[in-house]
Amino acid sequence: MQDYDQNKLKRELMLDARSVGIPSGAAEDFVNRSIAAATESLSNKHIITNGDLKRALTKELKKYHPDLAYVYQNRDKII
Amino acid sequence: MNALASIGIVVLAMLIMASLQLVPGVFALFFHYARGKYSFKKASSLSLFFILGSEIISALFFISSFYVSYILFLNDLDPRNNVLTWIFIGVFLSLSVACFFFYYKHPHSKQDTELFISRKLARNIDARVQSAKTPSDAFAIGALSNVCELPITLPLYIVTATEIMYMHTEYFADNIMTILYILVSSIPLIYLYWRFRIGQNLATIQRSRIKDKSFSCLAISLSFFTIAILIICFRIF
Repeated sequence: MQDYDQNKLKRELMLDARSVGIPSGAAEDFVNRSIAAATESLSNKHIITNGDLKRALTKELKKYHPDLAYVYQNRDKII
Repeated sequence: MNALASIGIVVLAMLIMASLQLVPGVFALFFHYARGKYSFKKASSLSLFFILGSEIISALFFISSFYVSYILFLNDLDPRNNVLTWIFIGVFLSLSVACFFFYYKHPHSKQDTELFISRKLARNIDARVQSAKTPSDAFAIGALSNVCELPITLPLYIVTATEIMYMHTEYFADNIMTILYILVSSIPLIYLYWRFRIGQNLATIQRSRIKDKSFSCLAISLSFFTIAILIICFRIF
């Protein structure tokens, strides 16, 4: 079991967002909104797995930038 | 005819080297992280050091394999009587089957391109790629990713070196074939680098890697099988 580190998650998402070519301001906006929406959608659960968080965040990120959502979802499945 | 068989084996080996996915996969991740952390210019220059590291280690392995293959095959030993020839044929046939079924962890999945390496090693490479900051880090990761692919490339290096030494008096100077072999194996990295340079991102590249997954797997497997058959036909009988 590990604690949920929102800052680390945000840093990783910002890195992905900059890399797929989203300008910094827009990236911060997308990431903040997505994290807030994903956290809200999982608020009724007592235990949240990494998979739950990933699915919820991917769903939210897809609304703003499909490439960012794809990279976040598949980054650990490349090699 | 023998020289044509040698050319066939070397060309198929080049095809395999150009179809392997571990180094391009690590490179794609490397450029992605570098682009997220640094300016486009710095990410590009770091990536060039990655390519340099990968190609230099590949060239060193290949050149060393000339010495190994001289000891194993050409040191007054007739390939027809040499048990090592049969061992290498066995290795190629095994690699042909193994690459078809196990090169990708999930060969039929359209979701990922996870490769044969252990998940622990994949996570380790990913962590190193993420923390790379300097050109020497990039160089080392390029070299490391090439080393991780040695279970597949090592027998290829040795057999290709042997074939180049067989044919050099008849057709080509062996140094030209050696340079060509190393250059061809670097094509996937240069192509990926060019795709990143024109503005494509990891998502686009990963989607095309997933699309080409079955083809590259089949190309590697068939090439290994054909090399084994060519060795049986032209070096044994």
